[in-house]
Amino acid sequence: MTGAAVTPRHHPSEATLAQYVAGTLRPGFDVVVAAHLSTCAHCRAEAARLEAVGAAMLDEQAPVDMSADALDRALARIETPEAEVPPAPTLAEVLTPRRRRWLAPGVWTAKVDTPRYASDRVYLLGVGPGISTADHGHGGLEFTQVISGALQDGDIVYRAGDFIEHDADHEHQPVVWGDEPCVCLFATQGRLKPKGWLGRLVFALADV
Amino acid sequence: MFVSEGAPERLSTERPETVLLRRIALRDRAAFAELFSLVAPKVKAYLIRLGTEAAGAEELTQDVLLTVWRKADQFDPAKAGPLTWIFVIARNRRIDALRRERSTVTYGFEPPEQADEDTPSAEAQLSGTEREIRVREALKLLPPDQQEVVRRSFFDEQPHSEIAEALNLPLGTVKSRLRLAFAKLRDRLEDL
Ligand SMILES: [Zn+2]
Repeated sequence: MTGAAVTPRHHPSEATLAQYVAGTLRPGFDVVVAAHLSTCAHCRAEAARLEAVGAAMLDEQAPVDMSADALDRALARIETPEAEVPPAPTLAEVLTPRRRRWLAPGVWTAKVDTPRYASDRVYLLGVGPGISTADHGHGGLEFTQVISGALQDGDIVYRAGDFIEHDADHEHQPVVWGDEPCVCLFATQGRLKPKGWLGRLVFALADV
Repeated sequence: MFVSEGAPERLSTERPETVLLRRIALRDRAAFAELFSLVAPKVKAYLIRLGTEAAGAEELTQDVLLTVWRKADQFDPAKAGPLTWIFVIARNRRIDALRRERSTVTYGFEPPEQADEDTPSAEAQLSGTEREIRVREALKLLPPDQQEVVRRSFFDEQPHSEIAEALNLPLGTVKSRLRLAFAKLRDRLEDL
């Protein structure tokens, strides 16, 4: 994840970072933002500022009384020894492809095992140089983090470390740019909507 | 962990939570009881505001305060103000609880506890508490409609569309209002 030597130029929106910091992003989409933060000092500093905004949100709440025995329970609990909790997997572990499915020469996907809504998809996609992905639209939000290589979408080239945020109704056909394969991490809300029979076939095989 | 020598002016901006957390790190149960009364009702309110039902919020608040007790020695007021530190714990415990609830869950993902661990701390010239004060002031200076969209970014899962619906505004207007509000906040907090 830290392979990107370049400074990212495309970042999550402020609202997305705020949601990440608040823990209110759609499950699964947080992993894509975390992958970006792991390569972007700019966004890490922004996230730290937003944590202080979160503290202000906490502080301004009108208190809601705890139950009468709450403090006694808490005082009893701090005396009990801590249970061993297995450590959560690291981001690198979560993003290590377990099983690649080859869809075509030079094209593979791997599911990312992370909490998500059943209708959403979180996956890695590797595409060889010169291959264009299927033209598609979205049922909802799509986050992309470029892990390695580069891809062109419209007239913008996204390089390793860059983050792309798309809404519903955005249709596009990203193309791998340069002569390196491109690996991206995606979270998509709802199924992608491929255009044309070939796209439908590939997307069905890929289960995206 | 420690008050730097020769900086008594710092003490004036110190919140009671900071002092209590230092004492809790030394296993002071009276300080824990005091902090509990001070922050547990706010943490519970915050969790309810995020959509947790009251009984669940009460349990989760217990978990948050237990974590505060166990990790108090890791609290560093130079890095984060006391409420920021407690906010991060509350956020993480809530994510853990949601993860346990969701049946599709197999692996978890823990967001970084300190978002900028690898940023040189020399950059942080202001203490965490001063940062909290500056943020509160910057929020108050935003026009009410912009404060509203910032709040909703923290509490709604789909802030864009939920704001658009709640305030009966086109999506484009919501997005530009969000951009404007966060740009203003960032300008005022750039040096933090
Ligand atoms: Zn960034």
